Amino acid sequence: MNIQLKQDLVVRNLSVHSREGTIVSGVSLALGQNQPLTLLGESGSGKSLVAQAIMGNLPQELKASGQISFRDADLLAETAIERRRRWGRSIGLLPQEPWLALDPTMPVGPQVAEVHRYVRGKPVGESAAAARENLAEVGLAAAGALYPFQISGGMGQRVAIAMAHAAGAELLIADEPTKGLDATLRDSVTARLRQEVDAGRLLLTITHDVAVARALGGMIGVMLDGRLIEYGPAEVLLAAAQHDYTKALLAAEPSQWQRQAQTLPGKCVVSARGLEKRYGDKTLFSGFDIDIAAGEVVSIVGPSGCGKTTIGNILLGLVKPDAGAVTRDASLSPLRFQKLYQDPPAAFAPHQTLRKGLADVARLHARDWEEIRALCARLKLQEALLDRLPGQVSGGELQRFALLRALLLEPAFLFADEATSRLDPVSQQEVVRFLLEIVAETGLAVLMVTHDRDLAEKISTRLIPVAGSGTLAEAGMAG
Amino acid sequence: MTGRGMKNFLVLRLLQAGIVAVVVGALCFVLMRVLPGDAAMRIAAGRYGPDARITDAAAKIRIELGLDRPLAVQFFEWLGSLARFDLGHSLVTGSPVAHELQVQLGASVWLAAAALLLSLLIGPIVGLLGGLKPGGTADRMGLFGAVTFRAVPPFVLGLVLMLVFSRQLGWLPPAGFGSPREILLPALTLALGLAAISSRVTRNAVAAVARAPYFAFARYKGLPEAVVVRRHGLRNAAIPVVSYLGLQAIYLIEGVVVVESLFAYPGIGHALVHAIIERDVPMVQGTALTMGLMFVAIAAAVDLLTYWLDPRMGKNA
Repeated sequence: MNIQLKQDLVVRNLSVHSREGTIVSGVSLALGQNQPLTLLGESGSGKSLVAQAIMGNLPQELKASGQISFRDADLLAETAIERRRRWGRSIGLLPQEPWLALDPTMPVGPQVAEVHRYVRGKPVGESAAAARENLAEVGLAAAGALYPFQISGGMGQRVAIAMAHAAGAELLIADEPTKGLDATLRDSVTARLRQEVDAGRLLLTITHDVAVARALGGMIGVMLDGRLIEYGPAEVLLAAAQHDYTKALLAAEPSQWQRQAQTLPGKCVVSARGLEKRYGDKTLFSGFDIDIAAGEVVSIVGPSGCGKTTIGNILLGLVKPDAGAVTRDASLSPLRFQKLYQDPPAAFAPHQTLRKGLADVARLHARDWEEIRALCARLKLQEALLDRLPGQVSGGELQRFALLRALLLEPAFLFADEATSRLDPVSQQEVVRFLLEIVAETGLAVLMVTHDRDLAEKISTRLIPVAGSGTLAEAGMAG
Repeated sequence: MTGRGMKNFLVLRLLQAGIVAVVVGALCFVLMRVLPGDAAMRIAAGRYGPDARITDAAAKIRIELGLDRPLAVQFFEWLGSLARFDLGHSLVTGSPVAHELQVQLGASVWLAAAALLLSLLIGPIVGLLGGLKPGGTADRMGLFGAVTFRAVPPFVLGLVLMLVFSRQLGWLPPAGFGSPREILLPALTLALGLAAISSRVTRNAVAAVARAPYFAFARYKGLPEAVVVRRHGLRNAAIPVVSYLGLQAIYLIEGVVVVESLFAYPGIGHALVHAIIERDVPMVQGTALTMGLMFVAIAAAVDLLTYWLDPRMGKNA
């Protein structure tokens, strides 16, 4: 690559310290026009802290040292007020989960217009017109009057980009811009970011999704435990990774996985005939049949909002279908039908240690603590973690605790609802591996609901694609 | 709101008002009959005072008002008049119930409005200070105040305020009606109880908004702090506070009865208590009905306000 490229943002030896010690140390990187930078890494690797140090919104208890030069300014030498003045104007943030970052009670048009009005000081009418133009630039000309709850996640991210256009920020920091989006939306958001680069904007992207880094190109930095362990041009780094963690990260992409050996299905655990569900006037699906047998991993794959989670909840009896019937093996206690949730932190009481929570489950269902210890060992969870709060362990660890909690009840059927979509690839691979081992050992029947077709293809005995339009077609996939 | 939505809303509320009228009327009727003591005797005492010939007077009253007829007949008679918007006449004074209510309701509405206004001056501001820094001094003091004022029943609080501001300090009259000075103590008694809850609701709403990603993102967009609070903070924090006002109407209406009696304030609550003592059934039914309808009206107003504040209400994604 061309070394003569002008570097607009240069980070030298950046460290972030908390009272307890150093969380990020010695990070040096640079980015310029037509040379976006993508930081890859798992949650807790410090990649978000690097972005926050550049943006200037580190939590108060954290201090950054080193040097961040943006154009000719030394950002770390600026006061908090000076840094805040850059927000929107010279550094713009594309938020993760934009549907949460938009004001839920204001239409998106005014939310874009207020940037013109209050950041750039234009009159009201002119601001509204300029906002319509910004929305049209991202293909949302007709969306100005819609509220955030009426638009999709991908549209939300484009609204955020329209806001960045409105403010005229030169540097865009995209913080997990594809978190929670399905593959189609992810690709459209990534393509949009690429267009921003082509239009001459500076782009720093934080992600744990290797596919996003690959599509954006430019430079890639890989972070682990607060250090930048590998840094180089995308095409070089992705083709010939040096560091073991980078190799593991690349290998953890579901498309790189080995396909699972097929097991012989046992007796049918749960089946349903003619399921139908409507929301308002909209029919989500109708005439849906499914059978899941012991030892099987059945995946339902489809885009967000197609009703795939609803199917799982109907099988568990959490949601009533509008038509059709579910038959669960009557010899099994209802407790043996369990669910693994999408967002692990939301599935645990936040102010209770994991030990206390699990002890309560054990007491309620008359289980021995030894079983928990055995499962901890089985899922490679250190017992020291038990004394932490759910927020103090990683997402992958917490999801394994959730799996442990479900396994404590000796489930015959487990509904895994996007159970790994919020995990980084390495953690995802670990959780899935444990799950599949349990299936092989105990003959557990698993229903996976996911938007990741690669993942589903690698691990399922059968795959059921669901179209967005409300029609389902069961397709058996031969082993 | 779309035209159809608005129509459905109004029809629903009117229906609710009708049901409230029948249920409240029937309950009052039954409860008044099962109260111990002879109704005719009480009415006689209310009209002429307890004197030697009260038994004769009571007998006349019983025949005059038809109190010896079957209960069902008396009840349906009341319902029939109600359908003609006629609330009947007071058994004691003989003047139309509607006329008496008009005067008393006006006084009570003033009191309730004053109490609500005072509570809105206290509650949301205390809550805002607490919510901006959860766990801080203002938050803890607010919590202490809220627990104290909510735990103390209005009649005790009223007495305490009377003792402090009237007896000890001599600033305000302990009872009466007519000038703003007299409305202040009863209104404050109600307002403190109302503010106790609304301050906590506000505190939680403000804390939730301050933590919300959209609040942080508004800053990252480059908006000045005042604009962030005004455009993205106030409305979102106000939604739960306003919806809670509907529930507070219960406290307000029940408080009006107690506080008016305590401060000898000639409102609808005061009238209700007297009507019960004097067994003035039409007056009891009339006042209770008015209070019930006031509750429906307040709930409807709160619904409309919430609908206006929160675009997510009643719209489909």
